[in-house]
Amino acid sequence: MRNLIIFAILCLALTQLNAQQNIMGSDAQRAAGKVIYDDKCAQCHGYEGDAASVAKTYFRPQPRDFTAATYKFRSTPNGELPTTEDIKRSIRLGMPYTGMPAWPEFSDQELTNLAYYLKTFAQDVFEEYGSTPSIDLQSPPAYSDASRDRGRMVYEENQCLDCHGEYGRGDGKSAPTLVDQWNEPIRPADLTKRWTYRGGATRTDIARTFITGLDGSPMPSYSIEPIEDQWALVDYVYSLGGTDDKYNEANYSVAAFATPYKGDIVIQDVASAKQTYFQNTEVSTFPVVGQVVEPGRAFFPGVNSINIQTIVNEDDIAIMLTWHDMSAETSGGNDPSVELPIYTPDSPPDTMGQYSDAVAVFFPTQESGGPEKPYLMFGDSKLSVDLWYSDLSKSEAQVIVGKGIKSMEPAAEQNLQTWSEYDNGQWTVIFQRKRVQEGAVSFDQEDVFVPIAFTVWDGYNKERGNKRGMTSWYSIHIPTLQKPSPVGPMVETGFWTFLVLGLIVAGVKLRYRNGDA
Amino acid sequence: MNIVPVAIIVLVMVAFSQLSKRNILRLNVVAWMVIWWLAIYFALSYGINPPLPASIIGMFMFIVSLALAAYLTTSTDDMEAAKSAFVNFIINPRYALPLILVMIGLPVVSAYNVYSDMTQPPQPPLSTRTIHPPPPPSITFKGKTIDLIEDENPYRALKTDNPAEFAKHVENGRRVYFQNCVYCHGDNMAGRGIFAHGFDPIPANFRDPTTIAMLQETYLFWRIAKGGPGLPAEATPWLSAMPAWEKFLSEEEIWDVIIFMYEFTNQEPRAKEELH
Repeated sequence: MRNLIIFAILCLALTQLNAQQNIMGSDAQRAAGKVIYDDKCAQCHGYEGDAASVAKTYFRPQPRDFTAATYKFRSTPNGELPTTEDIKRSIRLGMPYTGMPAWPEFSDQELTNLAYYLKTFAQDVFEEYGSTPSIDLQSPPAYSDASRDRGRMVYEENQCLDCHGEYGRGDGKSAPTLVDQWNEPIRPADLTKRWTYRGGATRTDIARTFITGLDGSPMPSYSIEPIEDQWALVDYVYSLGGTDDKYNEANYSVAAFATPYKGDIVIQDVASAKQTYFQNTEVSTFPVVGQVVEPGRAFFPGVNSINIQTIVNEDDIAIMLTWHDMSAETSGGNDPSVELPIYTPDSPPDTMGQYSDAVAVFFPTQESGGPEKPYLMFGDSKLSVDLWYSDLSKSEAQVIVGKGIKSMEPAAEQNLQTWSEYDNGQWTVIFQRKRVQEGAVSFDQEDVFVPIAFTVWDGYNKERGNKRGMTSWYSIHIPTLQKPSPVGPMVETGFWTFLVLGLIVAGVKLRYRNGDA
Repeated sequence: MNIVPVAIIVLVMVAFSQLSKRNILRLNVVAWMVIWWLAIYFALSYGINPPLPASIIGMFMFIVSLALAAYLTTSTDDMEAAKSAFVNFIINPRYALPLILVMIGLPVVSAYNVYSDMTQPPQPPLSTRTIHPPPPPSITFKGKTIDLIEDENPYRALKTDNPAEFAKHVENGRRVYFQNCVYCHGDNMAGRGIFAHGFDPIPANFRDPTTIAMLQETYLFWRIAKGGPGLPAEATPWLSAMPAWEKFLSEEEIWDVIIFMYEFTNQEPRAKEELH
């Protein structure tokens, strides 16, 4: 009997030791993790795990301070520590559209070692509380529109729209005021862009994100009952980004395509123009990234994509741009050519001044006659660009001829009209001009591609001048207004093919009519 | 290369060859030519990644057709066999139905081709560019001439002479990289930075053994100092988002970040060319 008790105690001690090992790993594992950490992670998260690093202020959200033991992405309840698997998952998949990349290079073992080493930055806390089990999420029932409609009510009941906005564009009324645990500004997710969800884009990921909450951020946890309502909220959020898993990834366009419009284009305002002219036009989406090429670099631009729809008739071209912006800044003005200093970590925070939102679409002023284009940074001394620019604190558009950021002059002719509207987190700006214009970009040819690029200034983010969101050069197709019918050429080709075949067959038959070859 | 389609094509070809060798399937020379033509067509269409443009495949298939015709003419017997098969198909009443199908089918196929050509959405023009253009013999960096053929990284020798001092340059290079380059070239230097998807051409992947491991350090110095605008026309300088870092960095900072790039990716720079 005594032996049995000793044996039981021993077993218990062993399992305790084992549990401890499962939380913190072995010395060898942590040592192996440290080697990887110091090489790949310390430049942002700091050698001591405290995010005191050379790169810290260049990112928003900033790299996580592991000494706080606050982890956004967990499978455990709000306020609890993550499991080893949670940490591994975060490293492996990264957080899209933040400075934290995915690390497909690491093996499972390397990820495990790294996770154990990360925990040592808050060793006491992990040793004591590190064994919280994951919440059982269960697998989601199939998506249904009825569940989505119920989900909209759950969305409203839980005040999701206070931050995420009426249509989920991350533009709720408290969105501009949000800060994280370290008092750094943080933006609510734009729920219409599932590929930017930090915690993952699948329906299970969505459930996990709101059930566990994102610790350290203003995103609380929600336990929604009954469970049907929980999945209803998942379905509503999922529907905001399109009810197909293909929208879990970004679907950026390779080019823009103008649609022919029969009749005159007479625009009164944005709302009616959307109905009348742009209803059945092709939408192209291009990624917007920070201008990091020239001084005034924007490391965390406020806008990450822009949509374009275009119509043309015989005389006019009208371009409609839409993009999501957390808040409309319509006072203070903006200027594409204002000079900005080079940012260093010692620079004071760029929080002074008031700048309005602004947008520009630009083209080469003239065809180069070859593959050459103007330099993508607003042109160069040899080839200039025509910027169609709209400062959204003003009602007039401006045409600017750019020969690089240091040479931006108003164009001689300013025959450009513009309309704009801000609606629940989305700007819409329409430009209209005659297709042909002396000395400026002209759209006089049909069935051609014209180079096009975009830039967006988010006034909330203090963007102006070269601190801006930009795109690469893309191209826009100017269509043939009268699309030729394929029937004529089809009949013609069919006929000639038949004739040639017939002649061959007739010839052979004639020559060999008296028997075998 | 896409392994699976290529493997399937090879297996099918081997199967045909075995079947015909064992006289289970009797294939004349025309049938073999058709099989080869189709095999090459499928291999070009599905076996290559990234996919070849249709126009290139068309060009290759034209050459393949010529080659097969040339092969046929090398043997009189084969020529005769092909010719009699062809004539037989036309004049033998047994093949009347297939002949009618061909007479109707081919015009329909060519009409469909015209249809799909005319209704296909327009494709944006592709631009070609040279990825590693030849460097100029020398550049001027902040008033100083740097000879791209003769000069070397002034801190490279420290690696063996003074490892402690070298480590400082590596650390400084790390700082420069993570304050400046990481947005495009990525945390692991694999070209997957947070802004990489917004640029075309995409940022270079320094882990790829065909990039920095193939280049001298002075080449990197040139590309970093002069950036996109410093490229020759064949390398589309107007598209490149690579900054001209002479606006931001000192000479030492550039040499340091070059050292760091090789250390971080466990690669060695290409040795200086020996002139003979």
